[in-house]
Amino acid sequence: MVRAELLKLRTVTGTWVALAIGVLGLLLTQVLTITVLPAIASGVIPGADIGDELGNLDPGSPGFQVAALNVLGGGGNSLGSVSITAIVVLILGLLVATTDYRFGGIVSTALAEPRRWRILGGKTAATAVTAALLGVVLSVICLGTLLVSTAVLPGVDLVVPAPDIAFTLMRGIAVVVLFALLGLAIGTLVRSQLAGVLVVIALLFVEPILQGLAQLLTGAVPLWAQLLPLSLGLSAIAGADAGLAIPPAVALLALAGIVALLLGLAGTVLRRRDL
Amino acid sequence: MKTLTEPAIAVHQLRKTFGGRTAVDDVSFTVRPGTIVGLLGPNGAGKTTTMRILLGLASPDAGTALVGGEAYAALANPARTIGASLDAGGLHPGRTARQHLAIAAAMAQLPSARVTAVIDETGLAAAADRRIGGYSLGMRQRLSLAAALLGEPGILVLDEPANGLDPAGMRWLRTRLRSFADAGGAVLISSHVLGEIAQIADDVVVIAQGRVAAMGGLAELTASYSGDLEEFYLELTAETAEVR
Repeated sequence: MVRAELLKLRTVTGTWVALAIGVLGLLLTQVLTITVLPAIASGVIPGADIGDELGNLDPGSPGFQVAALNVLGGGGNSLGSVSITAIVVLILGLLVATTDYRFGGIVSTALAEPRRWRILGGKTAATAVTAALLGVVLSVICLGTLLVSTAVLPGVDLVVPAPDIAFTLMRGIAVVVLFALLGLAIGTLVRSQLAGVLVVIALLFVEPILQGLAQLLTGAVPLWAQLLPLSLGLSAIAGADAGLAIPPAVALLALAGIVALLLGLAGTVLRRRDL
Repeated sequence: MKTLTEPAIAVHQLRKTFGGRTAVDDVSFTVRPGTIVGLLGPNGAGKTTTMRILLGLASPDAGTALVGGEAYAALANPARTIGASLDAGGLHPGRTARQHLAIAAAMAQLPSARVTAVIDETGLAAAADRRIGGYSLGMRQRLSLAAALLGEPGILVLDEPANGLDPAGMRWLRTRLRSFADAGGAVLISSHVLGEIAQIADDVVVIAQGRVAAMGGLAELTASYSGDLEEFYLELTAETAEVR
């Protein structure tokens, strides 16, 4: 089933478009946030006085460089915001489930494998493999753009130790896989491609709104708001030095738990559903 | 084709409701190896629902539908036992026929040589590498039949396979199904093209309003109608002909 699901992914244009947008989107945001913005802030490139409005823009600081290794993009300004890459990763998982429903392919799949849990198992494995490969490509982009920016910007050296770079990127790849599986679970539950895309977009945009609202009301982001999927993913990537309430390992485990729960629900629904 | 157990298909007191509407009610029939059984009935009579339950795509409220003595879900590799074509559905317009069949072969753990074999058998060789989106309904039917034949099954379940086929395609289908049954295979075929069913079916099962209205050998059932299946069918379903 895994080979068949990978073949399904490879033979539809939507997959390649999603992957291309994810890669190009990250490339664009990386160039902007870790090269252009610091260059404008430091006056290397003439522009508006952006001061501290966009957070830490010191490309020589460890915090900035670790944030630049966020495979979901956005550099030091990614927390609480929606990145193109995060949307693409979720939609990639969504496509694995909904493409089968959109054209009735789920019937062929269920005829070949009537044990529905195995269908979901195959889709889960294929999604994880594809997302992991995408995560590796995104990691190369993050590391590459960081190395280029430290080489190009005057007086800026790479200050993050190699193990920290490796662990940050590995956590990023894990989050990419989990986000894609979250998309798969959503797609399996809603079946409709359009409805799935709307759910994903709502999920990504509602979460920062909820956090902002909670912060306005309480003066801080409450714990429950930090346990939402997007925040957990970003906390997992950000690393212990970012000063977030939830440590990376806990955030990764919590996100994995949410994904496992939703995949379990999706599997139960798929098993009971008439096709 | 491996030797089939008797009966190849056994549907027993099948019942299924959708939102309070009874789609299938107490439907029972069998399909023996070496025979072609035509499943007939007006639109909405319950033919497709019966087939979907048989194929494990929908669960019955009561009754059983067995393939070679086993529920579909219990078959180790269904494609090697039973091939199905459900109204030429499940085809992604962006894929080619070869890609579609390669995916089906991968799902059923079949060698890629089978893909080429069924493409040749169904006359799709010239169009195999074109996108399905540009296919006519007849070509889609051929592709759907190719997928059904992929695992060299002993049983075929075909829902309206003649839809969109040109005369040459109809003849090919007729000949192929006859030779399949003569070699010991079992075929359950639903169709509104009664002329085709009259030419190829050994037995017929007529479903009306979810219940079996008549079943038996085609010759016996139509004997009082000078062998005219259409006359027999229209009289039998006259009161239930409107779409439910």
